[in-house]
Amino acid sequence: MTEFKLSLTGLHARNEATIQATQDWERGRIDSALLAAAFRDDTASLVRLQKDAGTDYITDGQMTTAWQDSLRPITSGFSGVKRGAMVRWYNTNTFYQAPVIDGPISSDGKAIWKKLEHRFVREGRFRISLPDPLTLSELSEDGYYHDREKAMFAFAEALNGELRTLEENGVEYVQLSSPALVARFRGKPLNRDALMQVGEAVRTTTKGISIGTGFHTFFGDASPYIPDIFDSIPTSDIGFDFTQTDPEALTRTRKGIIAGVADARTTYLESVEDLKAKIELVADRTGSRSITLAPSSDLRYIPRISADEKLTRLGALKKVLGGR
Amino acid sequence: MRLSKTFPTQEIGSLPKFSWRTKPFRQMELDDSDLISAKVWGDKLKVPRTGELLKILSKRAGFTETEKASIVDFSLLYAIRMNETAGDDLAEHRGLDLVWSGEQARTEMYETPVSNIEGFEFIGKVRSFDNKYWRMASIRSPPAYKSNYHIDELLFTQKHAKRKIKVPVTDAITIMAWSDNHHYTSKWAREKASPLRRSFNARREFTLDLAKIIRKVVRELIAKGVEEVQIDIPAASQYQSREDIKLVAESFNETTKGLSATFSVHSCFPPSLGYGILFPELLEMKNCERFSFEYGNRDGYRRGLSDEARQGFADLKLFKEYGYAKGLGVGVLHIHTDRLPSVDVVRDRILYSAKVTELDPGDLYVNPDCGLRTRRPEVAQRMLDLVVGGAEKARGELSAP
Repeated sequence: MTEFKLSLTGLHARNEATIQATQDWERGRIDSALLAAAFRDDTASLVRLQKDAGTDYITDGQMTTAWQDSLRPITSGFSGVKRGAMVRWYNTNTFYQAPVIDGPISSDGKAIWKKLEHRFVREGRFRISLPDPLTLSELSEDGYYHDREKAMFAFAEALNGELRTLEENGVEYVQLSSPALVARFRGKPLNRDALMQVGEAVRTTTKGISIGTGFHTFFGDASPYIPDIFDSIPTSDIGFDFTQTDPEALTRTRKGIIAGVADARTTYLESVEDLKAKIELVADRTGSRSITLAPSSDLRYIPRISADEKLTRLGALKKVLGGR
Repeated sequence: MRLSKTFPTQEIGSLPKFSWRTKPFRQMELDDSDLISAKVWGDKLKVPRTGELLKILSKRAGFTETEKASIVDFSLLYAIRMNETAGDDLAEHRGLDLVWSGEQARTEMYETPVSNIEGFEFIGKVRSFDNKYWRMASIRSPPAYKSNYHIDELLFTQKHAKRKIKVPVTDAITIMAWSDNHHYTSKWAREKASPLRRSFNARREFTLDLAKIIRKVVRELIAKGVEEVQIDIPAASQYQSREDIKLVAESFNETTKGLSATFSVHSCFPPSLGYGILFPELLEMKNCERFSFEYGNRDGYRRGLSDEARQGFADLKLFKEYGYAKGLGVGVLHIHTDRLPSVDVVRDRILYSAKVTELDPGDLYVNPDCGLRTRRPEVAQRMLDLVVGGAEKARGELSAP
């Protein structure tokens, strides 16, 4: 029997009021208190939407200025890392400030926790998405280790301290987002040994952690890593972007699956029937006991109203599937 | 069109809009500072008939459509003058060699074309980075030509510019990549193909349908006497599969097919892999006489011509590796910061570019990394000064015994 869950998987689009507030704040028309209020309202509305849709986890959407890009709490909060040039975020029209490693990477373990909306964490079932060590190392300009693997493990050690703090404070699920594994230059995948090393880095990241963990691959085709990814990556769930990965490529696994079935890159709204057919194929191919219905990636590449519609549609899918 | 000069200079498209240009269109009342800005900049740039502008602006609110059109015309004039007088205290010979009117008549490089092509609907804002957003349009039916969205600004610029002009035109790949591909995604959603094939087919069909429309726009500009067109492809490096990069070249070739003009290409902000992902397919753009890319963004601020000092320009070596022998425009100023390099660092960036590409210095153009619309006018002006001043210093270095 498969349990069907529902969750968001990353940074969410800001609503129009928040967008206006950020622009007004930048132009000095409103103060920081009003900007913070806009973010509070926006987050609260997203939390309500998740509850209405029946999500099994709650995220705060990671929408505030602390998350100006997916890496920002790390490039702003870790020692040995500073913010560098503005670089395109994979195949999107969004950009991030590249991490520049200029010393040994470390953190006080609170860099991420400080950026969360604690009141929503206290409500329970809180989920957060963070870049995985492979993505962090591959996107970094390394002026210290001069070795991708060393940088990856240094990030993994620092992330581990962060995850421990998150767990201690009640966060219930950490998703490690790994576009780097699948969105590779002209599709050339990592070899098996390199995948094993990524797995070791994830093991370091999650060492001593007992809350739920996921490893979500998106923006590329993960089929070259199947079935090895299930054994190599030591998280409870493995995620796929099914706008890129053919579900037919899946194999049987004891892992949970984060099923990125709703295309997060377009407002085209898939029918519940089409989504259901895809999920049934995922369930059939994997035999997984736990499938999390999800958008293919973060829902920040389309306007908020459309992002919310995607989540609502996934909620309708969960109802049709019956939860279990 | 080749300029008989070493290290010619060019802008890359947009300039910031003055507050007196934007407020009337946002139904905002002008205040004293807006009028002072129009006066001070008008004097500085020696813009003719600014008294006429100041008289219109003194109304402060409730502008008629005719008055708004005059305000836009004046903003075009200010931008042309900014291009043509750049250099200030840094150069003996002032002004860029290739100029444009700063895209002052455009909302911006994406919104203007999609507002003038049938089939698009605006659906909301999407965050690009930090607190910067673009207004996304969704394609809901096959695109169709509606009107030429660059003719009026071209005619005005032709009339008032004293230097050679280059018209920036947004290409099909960029419009596709920045839009919500609703129509083509839904069309291909149930086709029997892999997810990767379906999404690529949706991108390709959308792009090539757009390219035909843009070709018509460009053809009409050429018919009005345009000699050089810059095809803007900031999204050239957005999709990174081999077939997507081939599509960038295919789209350019489709856009310029059968047209007779000098075509250049501008792109910027590639992924962490750099411009290498565009090679060698990029060189299949047979009609392209010059590639103008952003490099200053990734470079350091210290002087020198070593690989270490000029690490932001490392990708330039690709052109030599692939035997490229046409023109290049090198972006020497990072456009998303107010931190400016010294004119000597700009000079070194230019000289380093010449050294590693081994191109004829007459084929090596100097420009900011990208359009300057996100900077304040005084910063944008200083960046153009640095382009002109840095190029002049580099020329001096080259001709020194």
